[in-house]
Amino acid sequence: MANGQEGGMSMREQAIVDKILEKAPYAEGKVRRERRIEFTVPAERIRDFLTLLKKNNFELMLQITPVDWPNDGEIELIYQIWSVTHRTHVMVRTRIPRELEKARMPTVKDIYPVAETYERDAHDFFGVYFEGNWKMEMPWILDDTEQDIYPLRKDFDMLQYVKKKYKILDRFDENKDNYVI
Amino acid sequence: MVAQSELIKEARENGMDLLPLDKDTYELFFGPQHMATENFSIILKMDGHRVVEAIANPGFLHRGFEKLAEFRPWHTNVALLLRVCVPESDVPETIYSMAVDEIIGWEVPERAQWIRTTVLEMARVSSYLFWIMGLSFKLGVYTAGQWAAAYRERLMALFEQLTGARVYHIYTIPGGVRRDIPSDRWLHQLKDTVEYIKSKLPDFDHLVFENYITFKRMEGIGVMNKKFALSEGVTGPNLRATGVPYDVRRADPYLLYPELDFEVPVLNEGDALARALIRRFELEQDLYILEQLLDMGPPSGPYQVSDPRLKNLPRFKVPAGDAFSHVESTKGDFGAYVVSDGKNKPYRVQIRGPSIAHGIRVLEHLLVGSRIADVPVILMSLDNCPPDIDR
Repeated sequence: MANGQEGGMSMREQAIVDKILEKAPYAEGKVRRERRIEFTVPAERIRDFLTLLKKNNFELMLQITPVDWPNDGEIELIYQIWSVTHRTHVMVRTRIPRELEKARMPTVKDIYPVAETYERDAHDFFGVYFEGNWKMEMPWILDDTEQDIYPLRKDFDMLQYVKKKYKILDRFDENKDNYVI
Repeated sequence: MVAQSELIKEARENGMDLLPLDKDTYELFFGPQHMATENFSIILKMDGHRVVEAIANPGFLHRGFEKLAEFRPWHTNVALLLRVCVPESDVPETIYSMAVDEIIGWEVPERAQWIRTTVLEMARVSSYLFWIMGLSFKLGVYTAGQWAAAYRERLMALFEQLTGARVYHIYTIPGGVRRDIPSDRWLHQLKDTVEYIKSKLPDFDHLVFENYITFKRMEGIGVMNKKFALSEGVTGPNLRATGVPYDVRRADPYLLYPELDFEVPVLNEGDALARALIRRFELEQDLYILEQLLDMGPPSGPYQVSDPRLKNLPRFKVPAGDAFSHVESTKGDFGAYVVSDGKNKPYRVQIRGPSIAHGIRVLEHLLVGSRIADVPVILMSLDNCPPDIDR
């Protein structure tokens, strides 16, 4: 795609970033490319920051992406929001410790109601607990037997789990001559 | 207050397998075997034939794609991730490929861009025809549904000629597309098919979209307003039916869409009928886009980037980085977020399906107060697609 106005277009994004950073000095922000900006925010200020974004016409929350970084001992949470008004996608990055008892975040469901669903998803697969979201304990995609294993974390041993769950190692009876399913 | 055990006993004696909650209310499991829900279940609390409370219960199609994608080489993942969206499998292929292209910094050749755009629009048309089939079955207008399935079959045959497969095409790969257009004959056939489907649209109008039954069944049910839709992350035709002209093809243009001329239909009612009509108007626009693409003709040149690393795909490495890309599917804003740590496999892939917003909280909200006969119609008007909730 040839775009002759690229320099002019990213000026528009820079203006949005500057305007947000002026009101939120605790955050860091940059323009990734045309129509893509990102901010890095400390975890305890996430609610303030998302409230600010919502006031600045970032209306649609698209997803909350957890990414596990076991070498850093952290889980990165990326709140991805699209602004219909500014036609810009924003990623708000924050990092929290990945130990189960410390992997806690305040919920943002009162700011973006749809976040309730994304938070349930993040809890089921990554074990991030969102305080204030009462649907945390409700069953989501995984079965009851699959709770508390958090399969999308990097230290989840998929092969061992599959062998254990589907009993691949002991498909034979005690005499080892009859194949049993 | 009657004890629940007595109610259950009474229900059993009368041959009912429902779970009574109170004198007049009972619990009803709607799906996952129900035809309308498509491997998705809703727990309904009913008062007579009115829904008092609805609880969406997803998870029947969970296959762990996001985890599996972390164990496969970059190009192999295309064959896995496209299963996230069954009726238009080209969408997950394309968003994944676009995100990987962005991380690597590849400029996809013009011919590949033309083919990708054409394939996406063909997928949109076939998905809308599939949706007309579903909707008309739920409304009881069976003839139109069978027509739609038959016309979709023509597109399936064209897909088979182009990609070798009917439903899961595994065609759009990082760096371009897998094969070139088979021949000029294929382009002529596509042109004929577009004209043919276009000539049949008045029949659908006559039978479904201007039908008294459709208006009677869909008008004024499942109403949501603009503010609610935006705060609940509703996208696509469902959002445009509430008056927000947000279309990814316009708002965040990709591939050849900046050069194409099309309208973004918007209605303000926000009910099931408005959502259905928006889809009908968009089908027309998609056929118009396909006509423009065919008039433009595929540009000459390669259909893949030329990169010596592509000769050894299992060891193909992508530089560290991350990218988000999204396209407009018939269900809404379909996005993929891909993280690479410089190895021959992705570090993390997340697929954002539109139904995770439409199928859980929005559905639970819209169903309250509706009649049980309207539940499939509301589901169909939202065009809920469970595989992209469960992934």
